[in-house]
This record gives sequence, structure tokens and C-alpha cells, in this order.
Amino acid sequence: MIDDHFKGKTAVKHVVEAQARGIIAAAEIHGTEIPGSISSATDAARNTTILLLLCYFVLAYRDLSHSRILVSLMILAFGWLIWMAGRSAWLGWSRLERLHRILEEERWEIEHNREQERDELKALYQAKGFEGKLLEDVMDVLMADGDRLLKVMIEEELGLTLEVDEHPLKQSVGALIGTTLAASISLFCYWIWPLGGIYLATGIVITVSSWISAYYQGNRQISTVVWNSGLTFLAASSTYFLLIFFHDMGLIK
Amino acid sequence: MIESIASPKPHKVKPVIFEEFFGLGQEETASPFLTSNSRKWAAHLTLKAACLAAIFLVLAFFLSFFPNTQALSSLLLVFVYFLAGIPALIESFEDLIDFDINIDVLMTLAAFSSVLIGSSLEGALLLVLFAISGSIEDLVSTRAKGSINQLHKLSPTKATVINGNGHLLERSVKDIEPETVILVRPGEIVPLDGKVIEGISSVNLVHLTGESLPVIKKMNDQVPAGARNLDGAITLSVTHTAADSTLTKIIQLVTQAQEAKPKLQRWFDRFSRTYALTIISLSTFFALTLPFVLSIPFLGPEGSVYRAVAFLIAASPCALILALPIAYLSAISACARKGILLKGGVVLDALSQCTTIAFDKTGTLTTGELTCTGIKEIAPEELPWEEEDILSIAYALEKNAVHPIAKAINTYASKRNSTSATLTDFKSIPGYGIQANTLFKNEAFSVFMGHPDYILPHASDEQKRQLNQELDLLRRQGKILAVLMIGARLFIFSFEDTLRPFLKETLQRIKQKDQWKLLMLTGDHEDNARRVANEVGLDEYYANLKPEDKLNHVTKLAQSGGLAMVGDGINDAPALARATVGICMGKVGSGAALDAAEVILLHDNLEYLDWLLGKANQTQSIVRQNLFIAIGAILIAALPALAGLVPLWLAVVMHEGGTVLVGFNALRLLR
Repeated sequence: MIDDHFKGKTAVKHVVEAQARGIIAAAEIHGTEIPGSISSATDAARNTTILLLLCYFVLAYRDLSHSRILVSLMILAFGWLIWMAGRSAWLGWSRLERLHRILEEERWEIEHNREQERDELKALYQAKGFEGKLLEDVMDVLMADGDRLLKVMIEEELGLTLEVDEHPLKQSVGALIGTTLAASISLFCYWIWPLGGIYLATGIVITVSSWISAYYQGNRQISTVVWNSGLTFLAASSTYFLLIFFHDMGLIK
Repeated sequence: MIESIASPKPHKVKPVIFEEFFGLGQEETASPFLTSNSRKWAAHLTLKAACLAAIFLVLAFFLSFFPNTQALSSLLLVFVYFLAGIPALIESFEDLIDFDINIDVLMTLAAFSSVLIGSSLEGALLLVLFAISGSIEDLVSTRAKGSINQLHKLSPTKATVINGNGHLLERSVKDIEPETVILVRPGEIVPLDGKVIEGISSVNLVHLTGESLPVIKKMNDQVPAGARNLDGAITLSVTHTAADSTLTKIIQLVTQAQEAKPKLQRWFDRFSRTYALTIISLSTFFALTLPFVLSIPFLGPEGSVYRAVAFLIAASPCALILALPIAYLSAISACARKGILLKGGVVLDALSQCTTIAFDKTGTLTTGELTCTGIKEIAPEELPWEEEDILSIAYALEKNAVHPIAKAINTYASKRNSTSATLTDFKSIPGYGIQANTLFKNEAFSVFMGHPDYILPHASDEQKRQLNQELDLLRRQGKILAVLMIGARLFIFSFEDTLRPFLKETLQRIKQKDQWKLLMLTGDHEDNARRVANEVGLDEYYANLKPEDKLNHVTKLAQSGGLAMVGDGINDAPALARATVGICMGKVGSGAALDAAEVILLHDNLEYLDWLLGKANQTQSIVRQNLFIAIGAILIAALPALAGLVPLWLAVVMHEGGTVLVGFNALRLLR
């Protein structure tokens, strides 16, 4: 039974692997640990403004009128809005389903492999410096209450945090707002100033969204803003110069 | 704890409780990972999506009339198919993988097929109505599940184990093996079945035996899990594991309640699979053969595919399949809100067939709580003191005790504004009684109060003889007794069971409104039975019945017409099982009685009995109405659609309109 549960590994090794699984499961879908709705909003805003900028290059290169470019970008932004909102919700639900499955698996383990779960818990608390009778007493207290034991195993063994996630729909609303704001700013700036408005809008959106992300994460704001701006410039330049390259090669007319 | 069952709030924001999360079937509204505020976003999602789809459908319908907005109409229809169609599509694919061709598959096939013949608006209508019906069913079943889930909280999860060194340790009941030694303190619920190895105490066994008077448990006595320990600490050697406890039985009962389906519904579940397969086969057959028989094209509004799809949609028995569960679930949910647990909708069918109700007496017609009916002195014949003086000493002795007799004395003393005498050297003998010294009217006395066995050793031979005589007499009258000894004087306090409040009015309503025959079957004394029967206005009573006599009576009555039996104790369990419908008192009901009965009055709320009978009749009536509407809708829609007499949209409206109509009709039962 013990070998089946630990698959031939020690309790500590098993715990380390379980923690890794938990960390992967808990990984924030947008790559940060800030509230889901803000994370999805800032992420969606950056993606939207970059997409519109790149599409603007392609459309402008075909010598379309400003009004046609504006309408084309609006239509594109609408489709993109639905995708970003839907994608954010779906990713959230996917993550929640994964977490619920892991919780169910852990509950099953506690119900059916109580001795092994006790060994895992013991290994965890030994690593924290508990030993001897104190360790046994801690084990007894933790094992006595099913709800408390599951909470401890979820947090200590799997490294998951309870009651921190936002509902997928709330995240989705964040993405919807982020996309809408970014698209509105980009399109409005383009409408007011066709020659340089979209560049200005991209700069504003990238700066503000990066600054908000950095602020919530406690990271250095200037560094984050500069890195994101640089990345945007790199992506935009790549598209721009590749367009020229393929045009010169005669592949684009 | 049971009290909370009447007001289930599964969607209320709560702290992390894993058992609740798993009990609700891992619903997002109780997800331990989501923030408490965020859980609100998950409430009624299917209903919200269905309503949103309905709004888009209405907009799409209006926009479809204008040539310039045709594209926008189509765009909105795509949203409708996304919101209402994707969940149906996923469910259908999962069913098909399991080779389960059911009503969901039939409906989804019909809706998506309509797109192929250019009738996406009709398909969307079908999906929206189907989604609304489904989400209403979800809503009702979630409410019922939430109320039932509260019962899980009844079971103790921890026990205090005494280890080899005499140390006390908290342990999960799941970890405790037989022969483990556990401590049960006063006020605690006994977590596991065990044998007393140390201590003495009164324990209340109302959950287990229906016996309202506490029982003394001493060395070598068995104590069942679920009993409440009242006044002394006892040490038990565990005899059974947690899986065998009575409270586990209650939880099994709850699961049974969720899963039991009425006969009619069980028949429809089986029928729907055959029906779906038949309709899909027939539609395919008509699509392929009608051009050869009727000389019509395959495609186009007059084509065979169009007619086959129209037939497919119109012949889907959504109303029959969905409306009956909604009716039963609505009624079950309404009952749960009143604190009445039903073992499925079948109970309502059976209850509406009954014409007679038989009641047990103790714990059913009476509360099981005691009322002090008088104080009698044993030798000398005349009271040297006022009754108030005696009561003040009894009150002083019992005012801090939790025993039912103590409660009755306290109530009696309070009603008479009795003051408490001053006591010294107070000593409680758990399970037996209390002793103390008092200075009364400038005279010092030793006072004892409790079980007659506790007092007798202190009495003279003459007093013992007289006391035994009086005790026999009073016991024959069905009285419960306690003895007070003040110095050399003996006083007998007599008590009787209290009638439930509003009982007489409830029984009168049942008799007048529904013309039911009401009778009592009791193992109690004839005098008591007559007294209670007359007081509450029963038609007949049968006293001195053993469990087998009760069973014989119930068998005869159930055979001569439908019989509902109301009881609570283990002795009622066979009768409850044999009756057409067994109704058990939830608070005082024994495990066996709860198992045997089909209806549980969770708060012993007998005053809702006439409401329950009315609800059963109303459910039957609505189910019949629904069957009529549903069958009518299918016949009216399917045959003309196949003959090409009715356009597809009208077939859908007639068919699904029928479904929504019966759905709303069924929801009336929620009230």
C-alpha cells in the first residue's frame, strides 16, 4: 500500500513532487499573482493595442483611406474583444476545474490512505523543525479534524492558496474592460490624429497597463514599463520591416 | 442543528467548508479556491446564460425583418447558439460517447439540423427554450440539494481518546477502532457506539429510540452513537466504527431521498431513451423515403429533410420529460423549506391516495417534554408545609440541572413565582439525583431528590411500603415520577407528557377539509390514550399495543384503503414501513423509524400535516394537468408538421411553448 501511494519514493520526495504539482496548478493564467480581473484587464489591454498597431501597419501598407482603416480596425477590435473576454473566462474555468480535481484527489487520499497522509504531514513538519513528542502531538491535532486536515494538506503539501481566486466571469469582465479601453483609446487617437495617433495610443496603453501590473506585483514600475515598451517596439518594428522586406521581394503588392 | 435545514441558502457567501463544497457536488458557489465575494458570480449561471440567449433571440427576431440588419440578426443568432447550444452540444457528445441516445441528443440534433435547412431562428428558439427549462430544473434541484446537505453537519467528526498514559487526544472518528477508550463529557454527543467502562450519567436517546426521558448509563451499559450525554462524564470502550453509527444512517437516508424517483418519472426515464431513438430513426426514414412516396424534393421548404426536421422537433417529448421532475422537485423543495423531508416524489403520489391517518402517542402527539402535574406527600397524611415551601427546595436543587424532570420543576416553579431556598454541601450523583443541606424555617435538613431508587435507602420501612404503593398507582396512570426527601419527609412529584401545540386545530382542519379518518395506535395505558384522544379530537384509539399489534392494525388499515402512519420510536418502525406512507418525527425519531418512514418532519412540526396533505393533492393535480398539456402539444405539433401543414417555426412554438407552459405550471408548487 505504501509503495503504491509513494510509487517507491520517500515521503519527502513525494511531498516535493506534490508541491510542484500544486504550484503548476496554481500558476496565474496571465503570468502574475495580481488579482485575476486586473491581471486580465492589463494583459488584454496590452495585447489589444499591439494587435491594432500591427494590423494598422498591414492595412496602411495597402494604401487604404483613413476612414476604411478606422472601420476595419473597429470590426477587428470587436471580434478580438469577444475572443479576449471568452478566452479569459475559459482559462479561469479550466484552472478552477484543475484545482477542484486536485482537491478531490487529495480528499480521496485522506479518506483512503490516512497512514500515508500522516507520514507526508510528518515529513512536512519535520522539515519545519518539529520533532519527537511535539511532532506527534501536532500530527494528532491535525489528523483529528477532516476539514482542517484537508486544508492543511492543500496548503502545505500542494502549495495551493484558498480563497484568493476570482471567479472566471469576473476575470472575463476584466479582460472585456481592458480590451474595450485599449481599443477605444487606439481608435480614438487614430481618428483624431491619423498620422501618429495610433503610436501615441500604443505608448499610453503599454505604459499605463505595465505600470499597473508592476504596482500590484510590487515590482519596479520604471523597469517594467521600459521592458514592455521595448518589447512592443521590437514586435512593431519586426512587422514593419518584414512588410517592407516582402514588398521589396515582390511578394506583397 | 436540525433547525437550520428549513432555510437552506446554498448560494450564501460562507467561509471555506470542504464538506459543503463536496456535498453540493463541487459547485462553484462553494468553491474553496474562490474569494467569498467572487462565489456570488457563480450563482444561477445556466439561468443567466439562458435569459441572455433569450434576449439575443428576441433582438435577432426583430432585426431579421429588415434587409439592412439581416447580418446583425445572424450575428445575434450566433451568440444564441453559443450560449444555449454549446452546453447542449457538449452534453450530447458526452452522451453519445457513452452510447446513450436520450432526449438531450434528440433536442440538440433537432436544433442544429434546423440550421442546415436555413431555419436557424427556429433552431435557436428550440435551444433557448430547452436551456430555460433545464436551468429551472437545475435551480430547483440545487435548492433541494442545499437543504438536504445541511444534515451532514449533524454527525460528530471528532472524539476525545484516552491513550495508554491517560492523556486526552482529539481524534477523527474515522481513525478510531473498536476497543479504543474515549471520554464523553457532559453536553457532548456520543461520537461512536461504546460500552461504559467508567462513570455514570444520564443520556438522552431521543434520536435513537424516541424515548424522551433520559436513561441512566453506568458500568457495562451500551451507549449508542448520537446519544447526548447530559450530566456526568463517562468513559467508553468503542464497540463499532463510525461507518455503523445511527447518524451515518440519517445521511444515507438523505441520499436516498435525493435519489428516489416517482414511479411515473422512473418510467419516463426508461421511455425517453427508446422514444429518442425511435424519433431519430423515423426522421431519418422520412427524410430518405418521403420524396419517393409523396413526389417531393429532398431539400427546400417543401422538401423531405425540412419535414423530417420539423417532425424531429415537434415530436421531442421535452414537456413530458422535464415538466414532471420540475413538478416533483418543486414540491419537494417547498416541503424542505417547511422542514419536511420527502423520500422523493413517489411519497406525494402515495400520500394523495390515503384516507386515514394513524398516530403514535408518546413523542408524536405529545412533545416528550414533561409537565409537573402535582406534589404528593407520603406520611404524615397532611402537609405540614405549604406546597410553595417544598417547591422552593426542589427548585433550588434542580435549577441548574439539564434533566427533563429538572426542566419541568423549574417551569412549574417559575409559573408559581417560587423562590429558591438556600443550599449548602450540594452534591450531584450523575444519573440518580442530587443531595444537599438546607436551613428551612430555622431548622436544618438534609435534602435528597431524584430517582426513587436513589431515595429508598434513606426511607424508613413504613415509608418504603407507602412509597412503593403510591409509585405503582401513579405509574399505572402513565405518570413519570421523582421523589424529594426533606429530613424524614417524602414527597412525590408527578409529571406527564405535554401535548404538542396547535395539534387540535391541525387535526380539526384535516378532518373538516379532507374528511380524513384520524386514529391513535399506542402502547400506552388505556386511561392516558383516552385522555389524549379526547383532548385532540381523534375518531378512534387503540391502547396497550405491542409493536406486532400496531403492525397488524396498520396492515389491516393499509389494505382497506391508503393509510398514513405518524410515529417516532423504534417500536413504530415496522408500522411506518408497512403503512402506505410512513411519517416520522425528525427530532425525536429513532434511526430505525427514520429509515422506515417516507416523510420526515425535521422539526417535529406536526402542525404542517394538513399543509403537506394539501401539497400532495396539489402535486397530483398539477402532474395530471402537465401530462394533458404535454401530450396535447406533441400531437398538435408533430403530425401536422410531418404532413407539411405547419411551418417549422410554428411547430417549434407549439411544442416548446407547451414545455414552458408545463414548466411554469409546475413551479406553482414551489409556493
